[in-house]
Amino acid sequence: MSQTWLIVGIVSGFISVGVALAIYFWVVRQDPGSERARQVAGWIRDGAASYLKRLYTVLALVAGVLAFVIAIVFSFNLNQLGTGHVDIASSNGMIMAVAFIFGAVCSAVAGYMGMTVAVQANVRTATASSDTLNKGFRVAFYAGSVMGLAMVGLAVIGMCVIFLITGNPEVVLGFSFGASTLALLAKAGGGIYTKTADIAADLVGKVEVGIPEDDPRNPAVVADNVGDNVGDVAGMGADIFDSYVASAVASMLLGAAMAGPDNLKYIIFPLILCTLGIYASLIGIQFVRVGKNGKPGAALNFGTIFTCVLFAAMVIVLVFTGGYDLSVMWSTLVGLATGVVIGFTTEFFTSDEYKPVQETAKVSGSGAAITIITGFSYGLLSIIPSVIGIVIATLISYFISNASGVISGVYGIGISAVGMLAVSGMIVSADAYGPIVDNARGIAEMAGMEHEVIERADVLDSAGNTAKAITKGFAISAAALTVLALFAAYATVIEARGLTLNISLRNPMVIAGVLLGAMTPPIFSALTMLSVTKGAFGMIEEIRRQFRAEPGILAGTVLPDYNRCVSLAADGALTSLILPAFLAVGFPLLVGFMLGPEALGGFLGGSIFTGVIFALFMANAGGLWDNAKKFIEGGAFGGVGSDAHKASIVGDTVGDPFKDTAGPSLNTLITVMSLVASLFAPVIAAFHLF
Amino acid sequence: MAVHLYLSLIPEALIASMLSPEEFGAYYAVGSEKKSRGQAIFFEIDPKFRSKDFCIEEGILRCVPHDDGSPKRSIYIAVYRVLENIPINVIKKLYLTTQDGRTLDLEPAKKLPADDEGLHLYREISPVSPLVVSTNGPKAFYELIVKNPTSLIKLPAVCFAELRLDDLAKDPQNADVGDLPYANIEHLRNCLTDLHTKRVTTKMVDRLPSGGIPYRTIKNGFFVGNQEKLIFFPLPEEKKLVDKYYRWWRSATM
Repeated sequence: MSQTWLIVGIVSGFISVGVALAIYFWVVRQDPGSERARQVAGWIRDGAASYLKRLYTVLALVAGVLAFVIAIVFSFNLNQLGTGHVDIASSNGMIMAVAFIFGAVCSAVAGYMGMTVAVQANVRTATASSDTLNKGFRVAFYAGSVMGLAMVGLAVIGMCVIFLITGNPEVVLGFSFGASTLALLAKAGGGIYTKTADIAADLVGKVEVGIPEDDPRNPAVVADNVGDNVGDVAGMGADIFDSYVASAVASMLLGAAMAGPDNLKYIIFPLILCTLGIYASLIGIQFVRVGKNGKPGAALNFGTIFTCVLFAAMVIVLVFTGGYDLSVMWSTLVGLATGVVIGFTTEFFTSDEYKPVQETAKVSGSGAAITIITGFSYGLLSIIPSVIGIVIATLISYFISNASGVISGVYGIGISAVGMLAVSGMIVSADAYGPIVDNARGIAEMAGMEHEVIERADVLDSAGNTAKAITKGFAISAAALTVLALFAAYATVIEARGLTLNISLRNPMVIAGVLLGAMTPPIFSALTMLSVTKGAFGMIEEIRRQFRAEPGILAGTVLPDYNRCVSLAADGALTSLILPAFLAVGFPLLVGFMLGPEALGGFLGGSIFTGVIFALFMANAGGLWDNAKKFIEGGAFGGVGSDAHKASIVGDTVGDPFKDTAGPSLNTLITVMSLVASLFAPVIAAFHLF
Repeated sequence: MAVHLYLSLIPEALIASMLSPEEFGAYYAVGSEKKSRGQAIFFEIDPKFRSKDFCIEEGILRCVPHDDGSPKRSIYIAVYRVLENIPINVIKKLYLTTQDGRTLDLEPAKKLPADDEGLHLYREISPVSPLVVSTNGPKAFYELIVKNPTSLIKLPAVCFAELRLDDLAKDPQNADVGDLPYANIEHLRNCLTDLHTKRVTTKMVDRLPSGGIPYRTIKNGFFVGNQEKLIFFPLPEEKKLVDKYYRWWRSATM
């Protein structure tokens, strides 16, 4: 029966990827618009392709080196480490290395598909919007669903195939590590790229020279639009791919650690949930529609809620017909409900319909310092609903599962994370829609389309921003639950090697680990944001140079050199990844080998706590400052050009790398660190200085 | 290539140019190699206009294409005290150029706008450029400072725009500022309140307002007058600007 489910999972994955491909070809068949629009879209497409090529070259190099290390390390029988005699089983190392590469490739393919359709869909969305809002929405949303469906399809195929062949969840952990490593670099690199271009384009274009957003005279405008794709499509897609796989793998490992005859049934239960999630998303996507005068935001929210309800119904049927313990159903539903609630409560702190954004906009009249302090404070407060949600989901799933006597409490936490992420197909579809409509707006502007088209693109874009904010809250919270499960998985792997982990705050090694772990997310944030400022500084100089050297650019008679800025953004993003990558992969290993498994346990705990807090705070504060500026631009507190507006621009600029670079990369950071710890736990258990 | 005569208001200058008004606006705002940038407001003058006050003929003679055949962009004929020496009847169209070089042309209206109730805010553009509040409507304001001054101050000619006060025009102390972007809003409220409580008809709010002329806050249009008469260049309503002159409007609302 378990094998059947795995085959069903693989077939479902292929169905998902097949539907994604069918939608891709449908999108490509849509009208690409005027020659000018196609030309502008071509610049963006070429810029995105050139960045992806360079990113994937770097990633291939990193993945190759890591795969080699994994192949060597796992060629030894890790169970014999420290016994004086170690057998060599090179096939184990090869299998693990292949799983790692497979994970990285699946994640890369999902990102590539998402990006490819996004850069085709942007111009088609703009062109379709010249007809009706609904047509524009359909093109953008269906294009976004290519990323969502490809991502969940490839993830399920990868996990099921590996488990079907090896029957070992630890090999699936290798797959997850591959996906996460790529995700970290894609997310952090994309985040640095997008904000480097965005900040530079705004500071020179809007502030210094006074040209509007998306004006073709701005040399950084193409890089800015490329950034939307590499940061928000490929980056966010890879990020959720990573959490999605990691949550399933953590649960599988915890399921494997449970004793009893039903052990296998519970090992593959996360994969069944992911499979059901594929079908819920496939159906849910069909129900996302905007009426003639409807609201795109409401359509996206309806699609998400409908998918969740459908998935919940499927889980209930599965549990009752499949003979599963009821506790897994409750854990799944708690995770799912928490994800939805966290996603939508994020809106309270980032939407201009509520007090935090309005208050921040209001005080902006008193200067940028007050804007920063107010936004910062609300950003800190914004962690409350998510943290309480995570606490509730953790406790309920733990105690219900523990009380069942069938499954362990920590397995319940893992299942809760899987429940939250199972509908990622729909979540990512809504998220990838955002950058597509953002690009569509830019293309409409640059191609000189009618203002009605730009107005419609604005309406579509506004819904995309809200979807993006919801996804961020969702992704961070899901990652928090995932790493809690991975933390338990790490302990399980260590204890399976006969060591007793004393992760108590009375243990100085643990305290040392907690402190080192707690400092990692802030350092990672600083490194990525400094990369943005460094890159933006260089690009600002380049934009100024172009304006100085060729006055015809501003006069609109000469085209700027867009490629120079695209290239600068890519160089800055890729060269900035070395230290953050070391921090994610090298630092946990250093702590583990130097200070031992208990210190590494503390390290993971510390990094989870500050990582989640920082990620939520930064994502929400950035969104809040952004919308406070937009609220003022909508005509409040003096509107455009007022002192309040000037202060809000400062807040928005500060918030940009918060919400699009550091914040969303932190959840990937803590997942990668937890995966590294779990994967290398057997080696660390055998070799550590203290 | 035809030679145009432009009366620039920022700064006040009479300029001969081979560029069309739109090209001249773009050149003036962003296209100069001398890096002089920013908003431009200028009138096109009847090219046949000649005056003993200006060496127009000499300027036109110097306005010849460059060696490479490109048009001569500007020959400054006069700066300082230009507006007062230009007869109103030679002024053709008014051009408003945004800081990024988009130009909108305004035709003169046949009559002045009707006076409305409430207080008024004026941004003088030339020859001086203070921000002034007044109980007077535009025509009365013009008469007060140009034709029949009641104080020692008298201008030979003036160009000004009335800016929006919205609800502040009737309730300066308590009304919401909405999307009015004026700096130091409390001071503006106090000046407007003074018009109610003190025996003054005009009061200076700011001697040298920063940030150029905020086009989006223009209430109805621009006024230019001298001892002869006052004429009015109405700015189209916002809806028309959005529908018909979207690029200019977007740039003007930056």
